[in-house]
Amino acid sequence: MKFSISREALLRPLTLVAGVVERRQTLPVLSNVLIQASTDELSLTGTDLEVELIGRTAPSQVEQPGSATVPARKLMDICKSLPEQAEISLALEEGRAVLRSGRSRFTLSTLPVAEFPNIEEGQGSVELSLPRGTLKHLIDATSFAMAQQDVRYYLNGMLLELRSNLVRTVATDGHRLAVCSRPVEISVEPAQKLIVPRKGILELVRLLDDSDEPVSLTLGASHVRAHTGDFTFTSKLVDGKFPDYERVVPRGGDKVFIAERAELRQVLSRTSILSNEKYRGVRLHLEEGNLRVMANNPEQEEAEENVAVEYSGAAMEIGFNVGYLIDVLGVLDEDRVQMTLADPNSSALMEEPGGGDAMYVVMPMRL
Amino acid sequence: MRKILHADCDCFYAAVEMRDQPALREVPLAVGGSAERRGVVATCNYPARAFGVRSAMPTAKALRLCPELVVLPPDFARYRAVSEQIQTLFTELTPLIEPLSLDEAYLDVSEVERFRGSATWMARWLKEQTLARTGITLSVGVAPSKFLAKIASDWDKPDGLTVITPADVDGFLRTLSVAKLHGVGPATTAKLETLGIHTCDDLRQRSLAELLERFGKFGRHLYQLARGIDEREVKITRERKSVSVETTFDHDLPDLAACRQALMPLFDKLQQRLARHDHPPSDKRFVKVRFDDFSLTSMESMGTASDPHGFQHLLEQAWQRGARPVRLLGVGVRLVPEDAQRQLTLFDEG
Repeated sequence: MKFSISREALLRPLTLVAGVVERRQTLPVLSNVLIQASTDELSLTGTDLEVELIGRTAPSQVEQPGSATVPARKLMDICKSLPEQAEISLALEEGRAVLRSGRSRFTLSTLPVAEFPNIEEGQGSVELSLPRGTLKHLIDATSFAMAQQDVRYYLNGMLLELRSNLVRTVATDGHRLAVCSRPVEISVEPAQKLIVPRKGILELVRLLDDSDEPVSLTLGASHVRAHTGDFTFTSKLVDGKFPDYERVVPRGGDKVFIAERAELRQVLSRTSILSNEKYRGVRLHLEEGNLRVMANNPEQEEAEENVAVEYSGAAMEIGFNVGYLIDVLGVLDEDRVQMTLADPNSSALMEEPGGGDAMYVVMPMRL
Repeated sequence: MRKILHADCDCFYAAVEMRDQPALREVPLAVGGSAERRGVVATCNYPARAFGVRSAMPTAKALRLCPELVVLPPDFARYRAVSEQIQTLFTELTPLIEPLSLDEAYLDVSEVERFRGSATWMARWLKEQTLARTGITLSVGVAPSKFLAKIASDWDKPDGLTVITPADVDGFLRTLSVAKLHGVGPATTAKLETLGIHTCDDLRQRSLAELLERFGKFGRHLYQLARGIDEREVKITRERKSVSVETTFDHDLPDLAACRQALMPLFDKLQQRLARHDHPPSDKRFVKVRFDDFSLTSMESMGTASDPHGFQHLLEQAWQRGARPVRLLGVGVRLVPEDAQRQLTLFDEG
């Protein structure tokens, strides 16, 4: 294998592919990136056995087609630190990968290409395509609510629901839930529900942009594959039953207030400074036209803020993890936010005034 | 100024046994596991201590030091009953009690008006009443802070009463060995001695910056204790952080298969213990392994208490670290802190 390529042509796919590679590995070869050079195309593959990403790019010249695996992070760090527009050549010489650029030379270790695992190609049963911007919006609106390392492993991911003319994402960590849906021109019979693992979602969204260009999805029994132009992303699916979001979206709330989103967010962020660092509880005292936000910590320090709201019902007091509220205010698009409450022990609903494409359910904290 | 009592029963388990069988008073006595079962001494009486027997010492070693030592198996039900009697007595004085174990507690008597507010008289009363009602002798330390009260109760054991008044604190600390300080064990003592620090007075000569550099956060603790500063309050309820059970085996478990077999009875015992605590919510489980070379390792993971496979898996990982015969196995769970339980959940499944 021997080829040359511009730093810029290599760096974008390499950075994305290296993102899949875990820092701590069980198999040494998993910290490597697989480089395959054909006469007119260069492809880079990274995997952690759960998620695989292949990026394709155009080399300047391929002298000798071939393949090799080299340490992903080191290769990326070297390319990043070379000067802009540098021309890079990479050659396999006596089992080592030699990178040359200008007056620099780096010799990297390699591992046999045959040891590099690929996620077995399952039978793709359903194929469809969505605008990239739509999928990106759905993921961005909900991914913050995914659990991390929860024993309920199916929560450490996102539910992707595809049905005719509708796509929906749902994420929850058991304390709060985010759901977002958008109409799309697809036809899927029967409807498909898949749980994509957390890491798969975070890597997938990096490949997407706000455009209407298509991302094509292939849904298999145990895998999902996404193609966007130069990238092919494959993720194992989480086998499990995702909680039914419809059962937790509250219906009976009678205390509805509307606040300026940016203002409320600032108020909560300031108050949070003096909340308990670990549990981050704040009290909301809702009364006619006003919301009082209070926090205190084990050192007995206190914060109190007042913010004007549109509200004319009975007064009530309720506690929340302030981080959960700030997360929601960070992803809503509208200038104003609507919050629906029932009582201090029942979940709150946050959404755009009148309801948008996303709904956020947050469970309170006991005061 | 606060008034704190530290009350400590003298060789408690042995004292209960001697009370019930007075003939044991005159002979060296230990309560603990038998030498055949590789037990350790939990408590021993003063005649046994004269031979060099100490608590936490393997019973086999204790018997080598003192061949005529009488070793009784512990009867925790009886000790617990006596402990409850003594606790009741404490509550007659103040509700601010922090029990540390069956035989030890802190009492905050700052606001007590009986005995004209004299903590010394209160301590005397506690000692008399404990002896009269239970036949157990108590050593009591009286001081303005927890760590000094604890040092004081140990000062004149058994049947001691040591009072450190606020005016005495400074003089008392000057000559106090650093080894007596809360949190200073043999390793820290040795480290302090290489620095030429033997007494709290030596410690006071060092700057906070130096102590922080050498001992990290613990340096601040040392700096404060040497000046008699200890603001820790008497906590009425101590939050339980974990529930666990462990066993030292009569014979070392030779391999992983034997360990796996031994795990199930421990797991069952853990379930019983959790049931006794009304199944508190837990979020992590752990396995502890002590190998025959006394090296200790533990493995922890997220998970529920009720899944035996999770514990088996942890055991396998922990065992690999030593891969040699095993002396002790323990299993347990970490409880979810009460503050964390204030967060309500969307789904009802555990």
